[in-house]
Amino acid sequence: MRDAIAAELLKFRDHRATWGLVWIWPLGLIVIWLLAIGVDLANGGGGEGKGAASAAGWIADSVGFWNVPAHPIGRYLIGAFVAVVFAGEYGWNTWKLVVPHRARSSLIAAKYAVALALLAIGFTLAALLFSGFGWLEDVVTGDPIPAGITAAALFNAHAVGALAAAAPVLLTAAYVSLAAILTRSTVGALVIGLVITTLEQLFRSFAPMLEPFAPGLVGTLYQALPGYHLANLGHWLEAGRALAIPFPSGPFSMSPAASLAIAAAWIAALTALTFRSFRRQDIN
Amino acid sequence: MSEAGAPVLELANLSKTYARRSGGVKAVRDVSLGVGAGEVYGFLGPNGAGKSTTIRILIGLIAPTAGTVKLFGRDLAAEPSVLRRVGSLVDGGAFYPFLSGRRNLEVLARTHGGGGERIDALLDQVGLATDAKRKVKGYSTGMRQRLGVAAALLNDPEMVILDEPVNGLDVAGIQEMRRLIRSLAADHGKTVFLSSHLLSEVQQVCDRVAIIHKGEVVRESTVAGLLDQDSAGLRIEATPVEAAAAALSPHWPVQRHGETLTIVAARAEAPEIARRLIEAGVQLFELAPVQRNLEDVFLAITQAEPADA
Repeated sequence: MRDAIAAELLKFRDHRATWGLVWIWPLGLIVIWLLAIGVDLANGGGGEGKGAASAAGWIADSVGFWNVPAHPIGRYLIGAFVAVVFAGEYGWNTWKLVVPHRARSSLIAAKYAVALALLAIGFTLAALLFSGFGWLEDVVTGDPIPAGITAAALFNAHAVGALAAAAPVLLTAAYVSLAAILTRSTVGALVIGLVITTLEQLFRSFAPMLEPFAPGLVGTLYQALPGYHLANLGHWLEAGRALAIPFPSGPFSMSPAASLAIAAAWIAALTALTFRSFRRQDIN
Repeated sequence: MSEAGAPVLELANLSKTYARRSGGVKAVRDVSLGVGAGEVYGFLGPNGAGKSTTIRILIGLIAPTAGTVKLFGRDLAAEPSVLRRVGSLVDGGAFYPFLSGRRNLEVLARTHGGGGERIDALLDQVGLATDAKRKVKGYSTGMRQRLGVAAALLNDPEMVILDEPVNGLDVAGIQEMRRLIRSLAADHGKTVFLSSHLLSEVQQVCDRVAIIHKGEVVRESTVAGLLDQDSAGLRIEATPVEAAAAALSPHWPVQRHGETLTIVAARAEAPEIARRLIEAGVQLFELAPVQRNLEDVFLAITQAEPADA
């Protein structure tokens, strides 16, 4: 398995998609923050600052990057990278090069491992840079940094942010990897991933408006589909309580444990289907 | 090595039907054959005959609808890891276009779980040492084909499967490939399974051949046996030629070409023909099988087979 992962890493560590869809986050942040600091200095510095009077507020702002992977735009880019990793082999016609020499399940497992590891490294680097540049900006522009900020508190905030981002990232990877194997096309996988992610978000937002038309169906779908559960898990990790959504019939809320189980079931089922589909697939 | 006496490759009643909305398409029908250790085995057929489907089945890319593949005496379906003893070149060597030739082999060596130490020697052997650091997307077809051979040999396999290995090669490349294929069997003791539609190549390098047509193996033989079995007849040079034709025509179809005759008869009938000519008072100067090449035989076989697809 270690060799399969090493092979996968050799393919993708310098690939254009990795630069454009993974390393773009930390690199983009460096550029944006340097520009922002430059603009602040050009305006005389010591401006409005972050407006965070408390240490907790400053920490919450400084780990704000972890909202990006769970945001639809972030998920589209994650989906694009996963589509290249999984469907690229069909476009390059290279499955026939590697399939005879390694169990199919380990080839797919290596793809998950490398795609998720590269995304984790990219997002962690970007999140740390986001914190670092936030501090640097305050130092350079003379904004006051609240007292009481500790490394442990900052680390905990990053850990919570990373955990909250994990479920949307894993679910996006699961959607797109299955679409990649079934469509055998990078574009096909990307489009399907984009459509499903968008529909998932739209249904989560508009279900309360749809409830009066089909209360039973909307309620059942809201419980079964993963959209609410991702939001509930993120909310619970950040606020410490379940997310309540106001429906015309009354607020909808489920326990974080139930949401975790349902989100995990979706991810596990889609991943299992990906393995199964690839194991049975003819490679012409 | 394979068990003593057991073929390196055995296909038994192998079939593949592709599901289509308009009904199934039978790409391979009941194919059975065996390849012995150290043999260079040719797998011949026109485009669309089922060669590539058969090869994809035997390297585990496609699951057969029926039948079994045994490699080194082991059932491929039950023990796919046996493919680690096989090297293959399919579709002219498909590679990661954004990686260099060398990096492609490194990826493959990692995937195999070994062979990295052979990369430099193999690049040298296939004449790509100086281009090893160039990205594959800049390679010519011939260079990709040669990289494909290096990839097929990377894990030092006991059996090498080559699907149309001379496609896209120039004359010098074809000669080099021919030399390499011969050397794999003769110098390195490897078994070679070679698919091609270039019959002259097969005739020059293979010990035995199977001809596949419309998904079925229609003939399997040594190359020499195939040429003998499918002799076009016998050529006769005799004087007077009119008397010779008159003596033979009641018994065999005779065609006159100037001062020679061609008759449709098996080689085994030569003594009987000679006896009849001598009895007719004809002077016999030559009686020999008409020499045909594999291309003639192949066309005769594939065009004669019923079109029952």
